[in-house]
Amino acid sequence: MKRLLLAVSLLLLVVAPLAAQEATTITWLNCCGWPSEEVIAEFEAENPDINVEVETVGFNALFEQIQVRLGGGASDPDVLSVDVPVTAGYGLRGWLLPLDDVFSDEDRADWLPAALAAGTYNGELISAPVSTSTQLLFINSDMFEAAGIEVPGVDDRLTYEQIADIAEQLTQDTDGDGVTDQWGFSWEQTVRIYQLQPLAVGLGGQSIGDDGLTVDGVINSQAWIDGFTFYSDMFNERQVAPQDDTIGTSDLFWSGKMGMMIAGPWNINRYLREAENIEFNWTIARHPYFENGEVTTPTGSWHIGVNVNSDSPDEAKRFVQWISTGAGAEAWWRRGSGDFPAQQSVLALFQTDEEFDEGVKYFLRVAADEATVNPDPRAVSPGYLEYEQILQDAFQDIRTGVDVEESLNLAVTRIESEMAKYRG
Amino acid sequence: MTGRERLMPYVFLLPALALIVIFNLFPTIATLIESLHGNSLVRGGRVFVGLGNFDRVLNDPIFWKSMQVTGLFSVLVNPIQVLLALGLALLANSRVRGISIFRSIYLLPVAVSINVTTVVWGLMLNSEGGLINGILTLVGIERQPFLIAPTHALWSIIVLATWKGVPLWTLFFLAGLQGIPQTVLEAARIDGAGRWQSFRYVTLPLLRGVLLFVLVADTVANFLLFAPVLLLTRGGPQLSTNLVMYETYRRGFVYGDLGVSSAMLSLMLLLVFAVIGVQFSLLRRRT
Repeated sequence: MKRLLLAVSLLLLVVAPLAAQEATTITWLNCCGWPSEEVIAEFEAENPDINVEVETVGFNALFEQIQVRLGGGASDPDVLSVDVPVTAGYGLRGWLLPLDDVFSDEDRADWLPAALAAGTYNGELISAPVSTSTQLLFINSDMFEAAGIEVPGVDDRLTYEQIADIAEQLTQDTDGDGVTDQWGFSWEQTVRIYQLQPLAVGLGGQSIGDDGLTVDGVINSQAWIDGFTFYSDMFNERQVAPQDDTIGTSDLFWSGKMGMMIAGPWNINRYLREAENIEFNWTIARHPYFENGEVTTPTGSWHIGVNVNSDSPDEAKRFVQWISTGAGAEAWWRRGSGDFPAQQSVLALFQTDEEFDEGVKYFLRVAADEATVNPDPRAVSPGYLEYEQILQDAFQDIRTGVDVEESLNLAVTRIESEMAKYRG
Repeated sequence: MTGRERLMPYVFLLPALALIVIFNLFPTIATLIESLHGNSLVRGGRVFVGLGNFDRVLNDPIFWKSMQVTGLFSVLVNPIQVLLALGLALLANSRVRGISIFRSIYLLPVAVSINVTTVVWGLMLNSEGGLINGILTLVGIERQPFLIAPTHALWSIIVLATWKGVPLWTLFFLAGLQGIPQTVLEAARIDGAGRWQSFRYVTLPLLRGVLLFVLVADTVANFLLFAPVLLLTRGGPQLSTNLVMYETYRRGFVYGDLGVSSAMLSLMLLLVFAVIGVQFSLLRRRT
């Protein structure tokens, strides 16, 4: 008996490590609590030799984690989500593994050309496109009707001025306690340049100087001052948008407490997941513009890259290849983040598949078309991260009532100070 | 005394020394070394830049703005905290029935983590639905933009830091007060000293050691204050709460510029040493 036990123990000692070695575990650092489980399960079912562990953090925390971990030479995460404008900065610092050997010409041809270009640094693809994006105006139709306002059609495009007037009518203190509890309007990403750039660019402004570093005379130009004066007025003068962000814009809208929001099409997928809890009628319209300005829409989204110090680069590359092409890309759009796919073959489904002929899913067809209407990419700069973070502070200040010109000028001083290191 | 006996005190000191070396000395030296390095944006990787980071920091208007904010914050918060702590300790030292209950209440904030404190104060100070604004509205005072106006935000951080910090310093003062022999106070009373004279000429001189410790420790703690700024204001509005510690964090962990961040930290360390030196010499001179 003792001999048998000894033999079994020895067998376990030999077999257990072998079994454990069967699957390699890689970590994927991603953003914003994206629902990843189903998609990861699909990948692991197709690739039983790889386990993917997801670490998800908030938007700002993602950049901090990447700075600290990749900047410190850590081998994890193996895979990371990359907000497309920071690709150049990560490339400059040598943090991402070139992915040229991973993708076929067919894969490359399928990506939107702008997305492929944005993921390329010094001629090498270092972050593979996963998503692209656009923005729509989401409308609570019931709230419009209750206020006697005509509900716009899905192909209508309101001006910002019209939105401001409607928002004033929708903003109400319904229970009479002196505190507004029904808001007219807001932006989903209230202080991020991604969503706010059209306010300045639509009036003829630029996102950054031609050298990718200069902001003086650019982000404090008249176009920026005018665009962000409108933004400020919505929060401070007209008071139709909440200054407080304890409850996010998207949550306010989907709980029926906000009449309109400019938001991404991922909200359509959110609705499809939570439809049974949403009791009001809603619709969309196209992205707004200024009466005296041009139509311009936000674009660009998430890419994915491999840590240059990863201990399992081959497995990491396989995962990156899977999720950014073909069935994996479609799975990620349908059951993952809900962000618009960056693959033309998946995007084409919106126009050709009868699934998108009617109902809420038809809105995705409209969104896919809207993504082609004068999309304006974010600034291309090695210092994009500093630029974006400092502008967040400026927008937050403007939102809470600080003078627009003063805030933008302070942002200029701060960004110019940070950009000095890239001028060499 | 045998050689072994002579060695024993050092053996007992060893664990504490090891912890100081690992958690204090090593990070300090690492920071100083890092401050002499930077990321090469041309070749990639870390390169020696000499005093380049210090040059950048000293010519950076944002650093000087944050120094200005830190200076103002310290000048306001340290006297407020020390005086309040001393006042509360004098009250808590009273010999009245049920004083232990009051002492427990005074000391409660010590047991609450700074992060929890910050989140709760953040909710209370919220400009739209916060408790404090609710109370102000009830008594007919206009809502205040506690955390979102440049005129209010630093004061809000001072109030929060004071609520959190004062009880700990009260504890030290209380211990000091209870260490003063009653006979000395009794003698002063017999000599005709009133309450103020007794406090001014007996209690305060005997508390000088504790006062020095509290002053130094409080100054250092407030120089290093970080969580409320990170969680509530992110240095804003208009950099009005941008304490050096937060700017240091932002440069290192948000912008990934560890060299500049370390240079700022090294300068901060020098400043803290200088301030502590001045405090020591002032209090020693008066002894």
